[in-house]
Amino acid sequence: MLRFVARRVFWGLVTLLIVVSLAFFAVNLFLPYDFAVGLGFRPRAIETIRQQLGLDRPLVVQWLDYMSHFVRGDLGFTYEGSRVLSQVWSHLPTTVGIFAVGGIFAYLLGEWLGRLVAWSRHRHLASTANVGSVLLFTAFPPFLVFLLGYFGGQRLLDLRSSLGLDRNPGGYPPGLLHLLAFGLLVALVSGLLVRAWARKREYAALRVGSVPVAVAGFLVGIWLLGVWGDGVDWLLWRNGVVAAAALLLIAFGEMMLVMSAGVSEEMAEDYVFTARAKAIPNSRIRDRHVAPNAVLPAISRLVTSMPYLIAGLVIIEYSTGASGLGLLFFRSIETGNVPVILGILAVIGVIGIVMRIVLDIVQAVIDPRLREEVRA
Amino acid sequence: MIELAYEHEITGWTDTRRRARHSKMVIAGLVLLGAFTVLAFAHPVLSATVWSDRPDIYRPVTGHDPRISHPSGPTIAHPLGTDPLGRDVLSLMTYGLRPSFIVAVASAVGAAVAGLVAGTSAAFFRGRYDRVMTHLSDAFMLLPPPLVFLLASKRGLMGPLELGLLYGLLFGLGPAAIVVRSRALAVMEKPFIDAARSAGGGSRWIITHHVVPHVIAHLAVVALAAVVGALVTQGFVEFLGIGEYRYGLGNLVYNAFQYQFILDTDVPWSALLAGSLGISLLASSFYMISAGLRAAGDPRLSRRRV
Repeated sequence: MLRFVARRVFWGLVTLLIVVSLAFFAVNLFLPYDFAVGLGFRPRAIETIRQQLGLDRPLVVQWLDYMSHFVRGDLGFTYEGSRVLSQVWSHLPTTVGIFAVGGIFAYLLGEWLGRLVAWSRHRHLASTANVGSVLLFTAFPPFLVFLLGYFGGQRLLDLRSSLGLDRNPGGYPPGLLHLLAFGLLVALVSGLLVRAWARKREYAALRVGSVPVAVAGFLVGIWLLGVWGDGVDWLLWRNGVVAAAALLLIAFGEMMLVMSAGVSEEMAEDYVFTARAKAIPNSRIRDRHVAPNAVLPAISRLVTSMPYLIAGLVIIEYSTGASGLGLLFFRSIETGNVPVILGILAVIGVIGIVMRIVLDIVQAVIDPRLREEVRA
Repeated sequence: MIELAYEHEITGWTDTRRRARHSKMVIAGLVLLGAFTVLAFAHPVLSATVWSDRPDIYRPVTGHDPRISHPSGPTIAHPLGTDPLGRDVLSLMTYGLRPSFIVAVASAVGAAVAGLVAGTSAAFFRGRYDRVMTHLSDAFMLLPPPLVFLLASKRGLMGPLELGLLYGLLFGLGPAAIVVRSRALAVMEKPFIDAARSAGGGSRWIITHHVVPHVIAHLAVVALAAVVGALVTQGFVEFLGIGEYRYGLGNLVYNAFQYQFILDTDVPWSALLAGSLGISLLASSFYMISAGLRAAGDPRLSRRRV
């Protein structure tokens, strides 16, 4: 197993170097704008600036220089003179937050609904759900953002202030009543979730245990509000919510399609027939037998559509004005700031590689056949 | 050559066609695509007949109707209303479908050719070449084609055709090549390849007569998936205003937003919906055809249901 992981990481690094090289040549081919030309200096001044930035050297030399710095974890300097890495680093949290919140909720929702829809062999339900999720997946993100903002924006703010979560610059704790209301809400939701989960898994003890969980949820809710006031504030920050919701809807469409396709594929297998013959309850066959088999191919197909989702994120951030990597990317294209564009592409590559490696390892742990395949 | 197709034998193509006809997704996608094709061809027809007496009102980019205030809702003169600049939305939308169709066709062709060449050659020649190609495909998967598309359109030198081909090429070397390669590898294991080899078939014969026919259905599915991404990305480019032209569907959406804020008018719903639904529905028609064909071509999804 360790050898498998080591091999996977090694080849991942090789792929990363190829990605960065491809990005380097693509950027330099398609964006030959120099920063100086963009500013409209005179030819003599442009020559000087090009020399100072090292842009007059042959492309191969520039590439070798860039790669040697990249290997040491240095993404170079922006044309304005600050470090690319620190700029990328300061924009990363917003993007990762939006991507994580939207992606995780989309995954959970899509997995659950896709499973239900495919299983309920109701003809019209399945086709309606499929068409709906295709429309969500291909929805034009700026329009989606606009709709969410138009119909949800002010209402979200109202909800927020009714929860007592207004931005309070003095850092005073919110009113006691609001604290209680928020805590109770968290308690209710967590209690209900645990109860539903316990009922599905037939854990009798946990069904009773949902009461202490609810109490714990209550306490955690209050603690969250008090200690992580800023964090909660950020989470309920309007642009962030709209951006995450837009990404959620798009990713949800894809996840639901993939999952329902996977489940309906698995439903034709013989083991389902056997399980039915053994009089195992329907919901148990669905959740314990079919769903785990359908999830893995679904996830690996989701990885394929990751580039599409990343591009969607660029435009979502542009439309909401959330200052993440996407907005930085677009601004850098506008000004022709090549090092920043390269840095962002490299960071996307790194994130993609890490996700792929983790996914491969998880799959290999679950399915030993894959391990053999890779070794062969 | 002796034809060995018996009367009751169901060959692969007939079977697939029969499944496709039963697949609601494929039918819905084809109907949508047909509707958009009619719309795209409607523009020259309409401007030659109905709109011919008042061309300055219905001209796609510079037209303006001075008689009413803008943006306006649907009327008989303007079936989809006018946008905040006073241009007829139906005319703009049907005209704006042209670059979309060019990008769709170009990206499908680009993805199909690049995927076929890269995937089958990697599966056929194996060895070191295969390993290099696999890593290259992985790299292309991680370098999102939409972002390169954005980069390339900034230069303003590439029209829809070049951009579509570029997207197709990047997608074809990435995801399409991976799918085709895995299918082709499965075909290469089949005994009939050995039979063809021992019968004296050269590598060219085997690739064109045995490998390609087996992967072509999967190739079509991936190529259609490339179109979905290309169309939505093209919408981004038009929306961001970094493309070569200013009459796409994305421009329609952008103008509707922009001039609503500047002129402080009502939300121009007809222009917004026409633009964004145009992009979304055209892309989803390709997605439906692709997803439906994938399901229809999968023998495991036969009608045997327990």
